Amino acid sequence: MQKEMIVASSLCVRFAEQTVLDDVNFKVGQGEVFALLGGNGAGKSTTLKTFLGTIAPQSGTATVMGMSVTKDIDLIRRKVAYLPESVMLYGHLTGVENIKYFLSLADIEKSAPDIEQALMRVALQKSAWHRPMSNYSKGMRQKTAIALALLREAPVLFLDEPTSGLDPNAIDEFNRLITTLAADGATVFMVTHDVYGACQVAHRIGLLDNGKIVGMFERKDQAHIDTEEVHAAFSARSQQ
Amino acid sequence: MSVIKQVTRDEWRFWHRTKLAATIIIIGTLLTLISAVVNTLEMQHASHEREHLQQSAQAQFLEQPDRHPHRMVHYGHYVFRTPSALSIIEPGVDAFTGTSIFLEGHKQNTAMFSDQRQASGMTRFSSLTPSFLLQVLVPLFIILIGYASVTREKEAGTLNIMITQGINVWHLLLGKYFALVSSGLLMLLPLIVAAIWASINGESAWVTSSFVAGYILYILVWCGIVLAISAINQKNSASFAILVSLWIVLCILLPRIGSSSAAALAPSPSKLEADFAVKEALRKLGDGHNAADPAFEQLKKNLLTKYNVDKVEDLPINFRGTVAQFSEKKLTEILNQFAEKRMQEELEQAYIARQFGWLTPTTAIRSFSMLIAGTSLETHHRFLREAEKLRFEFVQSLNKVHQDNLNYQADANRYKNADTAKAARVDAANWQVLSEFTFEPDTAETRLSRSLIYAIQLLFWVGLIALFLRFAVRRIS
Repeated sequence: MQKEMIVASSLCVRFAEQTVLDDVNFKVGQGEVFALLGGNGAGKSTTLKTFLGTIAPQSGTATVMGMSVTKDIDLIRRKVAYLPESVMLYGHLTGVENIKYFLSLADIEKSAPDIEQALMRVALQKSAWHRPMSNYSKGMRQKTAIALALLREAPVLFLDEPTSGLDPNAIDEFNRLITTLAADGATVFMVTHDVYGACQVAHRIGLLDNGKIVGMFERKDQAHIDTEEVHAAFSARSQQ
Repeated sequence: MSVIKQVTRDEWRFWHRTKLAATIIIIGTLLTLISAVVNTLEMQHASHEREHLQQSAQAQFLEQPDRHPHRMVHYGHYVFRTPSALSIIEPGVDAFTGTSIFLEGHKQNTAMFSDQRQASGMTRFSSLTPSFLLQVLVPLFIILIGYASVTREKEAGTLNIMITQGINVWHLLLGKYFALVSSGLLMLLPLIVAAIWASINGESAWVTSSFVAGYILYILVWCGIVLAISAINQKNSASFAILVSLWIVLCILLPRIGSSSAAALAPSPSKLEADFAVKEALRKLGDGHNAADPAFEQLKKNLLTKYNVDKVEDLPINFRGTVAQFSEKKLTEILNQFAEKRMQEELEQAYIARQFGWLTPTTAIRSFSMLIAGTSLETHHRFLREAEKLRFEFVQSLNKVHQDNLNYQADANRYKNADTAKAARVDAANWQVLSEFTFEPDTAETRLSRSLIYAIQLLFWVGLIALFLRFAVRRIS
């Protein structure tokens, strides 16, 4: 297996008396796209927040690039990129200004050609680059955020429901972009309830239900994970 | 450092592009500027007028023809106080107490020609002095500019992105704090210019720089309050509602409660009661206009013994003038006792009200500002004392003329006819009794030492806000 970039080991999170994550285990290798699939309340967002350090686990360990989220969260945050469900950058700034500003906050300096190259790579139309972001669609904002991640040279991307609210063309574009990034060595961890989208883009899918990993699916010889199989497992869990 | 600078720059860019904050900053700066300019022009006009009135009052006094000296005692004289240079920003109690006093015999008049007394009913409460703007309205402007500093990042989700990108929350808040402080300092610019102008015109550099430093601390406190409240709340609306409520409590209610509490804790008699008590005490002294009043019997005996004569007509001095002098001295002692008691009560009330500076920074800056500008109650009291000293000397000089230069018989018969009235006059050359009145501001040392405790109150607020910001950073982190 490639280098382990994201590892959950016997991860448990409880809120008061309620167990939200119960002995969760998985590993995500470098260049892999891993999707955590589950219904509402399954614990997907909690898992994501644990890796981003906004929720502390009660037991078990969570590491990113070998660093513990409980001990080295500041270091982890400087390395990873996070795209929330609704990417909201500054509406009063243009796409380019947003990128420059967020890079400056991370103390990273990039030249104008570098920024343009990143924007071209994520296929954000050139006419939008210098328009205020308040006029951007969700897909355009997402592309800008991914361009930012590229410029930050983040080896790990955490994505929260990335295709929610996107039109089919935008979803296809997004999937292509993620696939390219992974092929270039980026590790992508996404949480989603979109079975079809996850099967299209992920190398592996973990099915989460009531805080437990109840199934693990992966590409075998085919280009995508078998949607039928995952869908059947997902539906079965939903009906229980 | 570069992150803090970037955040500060972006905050300014946001204000510039969203227009609203930029408009508030421009309005705030223009208002303080206009207010300072108008106040300066008014003061210059008042200063010229004062100079003119002082000269004309003096000339009129000196131009009086030969008269009975006691008529000159009642003719009276005005003294004018030149306000301190910093009063163009902080008029302090001068706006209520006035800067001129009419000096006459047997009376201690209060200061007059105050702005508030001259204002009509409608304008009485609407005086927009630079200090009022800086102490009350600038905090409101800072709230309007900064209430959403952090909450808008939370509402938009950008704060989350920044945190997950590993930005140091202290750096983020400091960047926003510096932006807010710089906008506040912009509104403080007219004050800084006025302070430089005051320094050029002879005001102590220690005083002017402390004056500016006090207001900078006040701006630091309010920017800290605004930022911390914005940082601990999730919604713009909640942050705005809390901050406006705080503004009402800290800038409007608590200072008023301070004054009311002072009046309740250290009550002073009403003007009517005080006047009645003074009249009661004076009645026992006898009437200084009537030399035959039994109250002066002992004085008469002493004089007759001293000069070894049998009746007042044989005295080498005018007994009526001596009575006037004696009576004025006794009366002044009584008036001074009451005046000192009243001033003590006023100071006690002011001291209690100023302790509210531990509860609200507005009272702290108000006390500091008035004391350091030399427009405080203490300075006004000194003016009253110095004016009273001058009044006493002036009246007694005329009484001495009455005693030494006017024949007793002529004086006693002056109401008989026109000729006797004419005979009871003294030469106008005797009116050269006016000493030049110059009221010097308190020394820099006096003003600095008096205001020290209120500077400590402001520093206490800065410390408190620093702790509050630390708490806010922990909440966000």
